Amino acid sequence: MLAGQCCFKPATELYPGFAGTVAAVGALPSLAEGHRYSRTDRMAMAAARDAVADFDGPASDLRESGIVMASTVGGLSEIDAEISRGPAAWYRQGGLSRAASYPVSRVAASVAEHLGIEGPTCAVSVACASGAMAIALAANLLLDEAAPMVLAGGSDALCPFTLSGFNSLQALDPEPCRPFDQNRKGLNIGEGAAVLVLETLARATRRGARILAVLRGWAMTNDATHPTAPRKDGLGLACCIQRALEMAGCGIEDVGYVNAHGTGTPLNDIAETHAYESAFHGRSRPIPVSSTKSYFGHCLGAAGALEAAITITAMQTGALFPTLRLTDPIESSGIDWLRGELRRQPLPVAMSVSAGFGGSNAALVFGRSRA
Amino acid sequence: MKTTLPVLTGIGSVTPYGPLAGLISPEFMEPLEPSVITAWTTPGVRRVFLVEPFRPAAIVPGLKTRRLDRLSAWALVASSLALRDAGIDLSQLDRSRIAVFFATGLGCVELTEAFFQSAATNGWAGTDPITFPETLGNAPASHVALFHDLRGPNVTLSSKSFAAESALLQAASLLRHGQADLAIVLAGDTLTQAVYEWYEAAHLLAPACFSNEPMPSAGGFIPSEGVVAMVLEPAGRQTARSYAALGAGCWAAGGDARSAVRQLLGDVRLDFVICAGNGASCASSPLTCSARDLIGEGAILPAQAVAAGMGEAGALLHLLLALSKRPGHGQALLLGRSAHGGFAALRLELF
Repeated sequence: MLAGQCCFKPATELYPGFAGTVAAVGALPSLAEGHRYSRTDRMAMAAARDAVADFDGPASDLRESGIVMASTVGGLSEIDAEISRGPAAWYRQGGLSRAASYPVSRVAASVAEHLGIEGPTCAVSVACASGAMAIALAANLLLDEAAPMVLAGGSDALCPFTLSGFNSLQALDPEPCRPFDQNRKGLNIGEGAAVLVLETLARATRRGARILAVLRGWAMTNDATHPTAPRKDGLGLACCIQRALEMAGCGIEDVGYVNAHGTGTPLNDIAETHAYESAFHGRSRPIPVSSTKSYFGHCLGAAGALEAAITITAMQTGALFPTLRLTDPIESSGIDWLRGELRRQPLPVAMSVSAGFGGSNAALVFGRSRA
Repeated sequence: MKTTLPVLTGIGSVTPYGPLAGLISPEFMEPLEPSVITAWTTPGVRRVFLVEPFRPAAIVPGLKTRRLDRLSAWALVASSLALRDAGIDLSQLDRSRIAVFFATGLGCVELTEAFFQSAATNGWAGTDPITFPETLGNAPASHVALFHDLRGPNVTLSSKSFAAESALLQAASLLRHGQADLAIVLAGDTLTQAVYEWYEAAHLLAPACFSNEPMPSAGGFIPSEGVVAMVLEPAGRQTARSYAALGAGCWAAGGDARSAVRQLLGDVRLDFVICAGNGASCASSPLTCSARDLIGEGAILPAQAVAAGMGEAGALLHLLLALSKRPGHGQALLLGRSAHGGFAALRLELF
């Protein structure tokens, strides 16, 4: 991302005749019981393993951790259209173990099994806002002292199910997507997983942990407007942003960067633009906004967690990632569309915003640790 | 951390007992026997707990459910009945501060199967754009938000064995932390032929599914379906009555359940234990033993087959059935155990 590269490639193997995209992923863990885990599960396990790789606290803390994992398709990544021709036969012909991996709860359970975690475990399925909501719900678990720390994130594998579904809605761009561009045509589906380790600031400070960021505020709202389309005036999302800032104790001047949902669809991007215009109205200088889906596509249930990680990376490196291929931005007021060259500036506070089918919105406000 | 305990003020349900507001009347309560499957062809007699077909608009005037998965339709009906039961006038509330939590194990399986059917028939390039959004796990909760214009947090979650308990606890957490003023918690699943056949092939079903045994006395469960909705709000609103107040709770994928529950209870003396045997035999001996160990001479409200058959979404129906028995005022514990070593526990004060 620092080099401005995106990881798109044609998806012809997965979806013949359609020029979609696939995000490249690294090696997945080799498991003796690998057949029990879907690709979604395995990506989640890989991300979770990396997230706790340098955890040096008490083993009991890791064992008692909570897990909140987001996914939209779960193990449906393994399914094929043949199931509808004879479900029972398909299940009996070796599909049983795979069938057991269909529920999205398996994603969280797989992470728990992989890392030997025995704390509160759940999976969140709120379409494309899932990943951000997983982080918000994990933060609430910490407020409730339900676990010493919580692994929160999301995972979704690219599969015919989602490609076909978004294609049926005519929501896919056959070319690499152009979020917030006036000539945008739709989204590209990606795949991936991201997991964040959350613990209270007091506890992390006490154990001398390397604190990457402080989650200062979070909020969740719903548009209650349409099953798939966002509210056109963006007020549901604007309300979500305002509530997250309120919880964070931040004003609109404090935010240095917004990692947008920015799918590249005509409806989302205009609604989101209105949301930023409304939420940051009265700010003395334009709010910097970019969509990093232009690098790896829309990773659905993983998107919110992945983009939260990128937002934290931006804060740590002082690098504000531009939206790729954004040449003719949507007309707006008060928005500084990040495009072209990578911008570098200190970033004490940044925000990650997500939205999804069903009208759900989520906003996360991150700050740098003073520790 | 905690201010006042959230209270349960409204219940709506669409279950094998039918669509109902509030508690289930004693004449409906027991015994509810599973019925023989007639909705699809089976190789022999197969018994389940199914929701009898009904017209949602007859229960909730103006409700349109024609293109929805049954799970979404039931969620709409159950949430409407729960709000009605709570006596809530939504026009008097800030709807941006009303949350919806939906717990499900399998989500909208009917339309997911229909979507795959369209893929098998037409190829991946010919799937149905109307069906696709309705396959998403959060479709029922988003329809509830859309129908009632609820603009607060809208969360759908699953948790191996304990989705309903998890949803109750997380919704209560939102109320306690001031992130919402009211929450509708729903839990449910639907049963399809494919799901049933998967259970059967995996040898998960109780012998009572295949015979006239009255109850699943041995391993396995009788599949069930339905949605239960409950309204949670902070204590203090002037209301006709509250069913229960929710105290602290916990759920975990493993670990020392006994110790965790002891810690949860502290000095509280329990009057009741409500057993929630999710996806397992209602006569699950580990669960009953755990309950007896906790409660001493108090009353155990055993798990019910119709609720156990709803799997990880069954706890709300267990709670509804327990409340419907009107056990009296007292301290209660909703206790769930899974075959994999997980557990869930939620303290309640029954009114």
